[in-house]
Amino acid sequence: MSKLLKPVVVIILAVGVAAGAAVFLSRGADKKTDNPNTPQHVEVKGGGHIRGSQNAQLTLVEFGDYECPICGAWHPFLKELLNRYPQQLRLEFHHYPLVSVHRNAMAGAMAAEAAGEQGKYWEMHDALLEHQNEWGESPNPEPMFQGLASRLGLDLNQFTQSLHSPALQNKILQDVTQAQDLHIEGTPTFFINGEQIHPKLSMEDLVQLIDAHLRSK
Amino acid sequence: MKVRSVLIACLAFVGMVDALYLSIERNAGPIPCHVTHGCTDVLTSKYSEIAGVPLSWFGLLFYITIMSLMVFKAFEDVEHPLNLPLAAVFYLTGAGLVVSALLVGIQAFILKAFCEYCLLSAALVLTMFLLAPNPGRHKHPQ
Repeated sequence: MSKLLKPVVVIILAVGVAAGAAVFLSRGADKKTDNPNTPQHVEVKGGGHIRGSQNAQLTLVEFGDYECPICGAWHPFLKELLNRYPQQLRLEFHHYPLVSVHRNAMAGAMAAEAAGEQGKYWEMHDALLEHQNEWGESPNPEPMFQGLASRLGLDLNQFTQSLHSPALQNKILQDVTQAQDLHIEGTPTFFINGEQIHPKLSMEDLVQLIDAHLRSK
Repeated sequence: MKVRSVLIACLAFVGMVDALYLSIERNAGPIPCHVTHGCTDVLTSKYSEIAGVPLSWFGLLFYITIMSLMVFKAFEDVEHPLNLPLAAVFYLTGAGLVVSALLVGIQAFILKAFCEYCLLSAALVLTMFLLAPNPGRHKHPQ
């Protein structure tokens, strides 16, 4: 029995130490993950879609990808934030479709912009993020986008034409260029009034940061 | 042989930390690279999971198995040496090497982005494979 006990104890200890080391490294990385190439204060040159009060004191800029699961996870929280600070906070969304890993990310951005042509950008934005799993890895997501457009009461012919509009594609690519100029590494990446938010900031931390910004105003 | 077992166990320990770190960091936001470019791209790609289970969890199971086998080998009774652990590690790391090569290939040719934590894991698997003695070579001639 004692022959078995020693190795088992060593294995349990090793797993425990490894877990501790991983948590420690993860917390340490959180403190050091700022990309040195990313300026601390940036000026996002417009072009994004605004949600919330036009006169809000704080602008939360998001560079996002409709197929990115983390963007999907943040989505309900961001909506809740806007409800919580209806006059003080607005969201400015910029496209950053990570096309090398998300095959339909660009198509998703096009669907949002196409709905925007008919004044329903944010409705499609919500629908795309809420139904990511349905269209994300589909070999042909267009019928799913049309289904969403239909539910939103859009003119399907116009929507389908807009899905292939070079002008809308250029608009998205301008956001991509801006994201690359800012050395953004992944999505979602957030800025509050030009200040980049730490990539590992929790949702609770973000609320505290917004409160701190509002108090300092 | 004991030194070799301890070495492989230590490498598996590093692999466990790597896999656990990735399991913690995954889905917690962008994962910045320090050496390569594209950690988030790789770790949020469709190749980063199987049936919804992140590959890092499989990696963790793999490394715990290797480490456990090597710890049992290191504590073996000298009079009754255990042959199974080293043979198992040889075949397991061999299989791991094939999977690692496939994943590095996906990073290089499909995603065109590299994740340093994944490359570290591939390097660990390769080193463990080279350290594990081929059981076929140690058979006595008939």
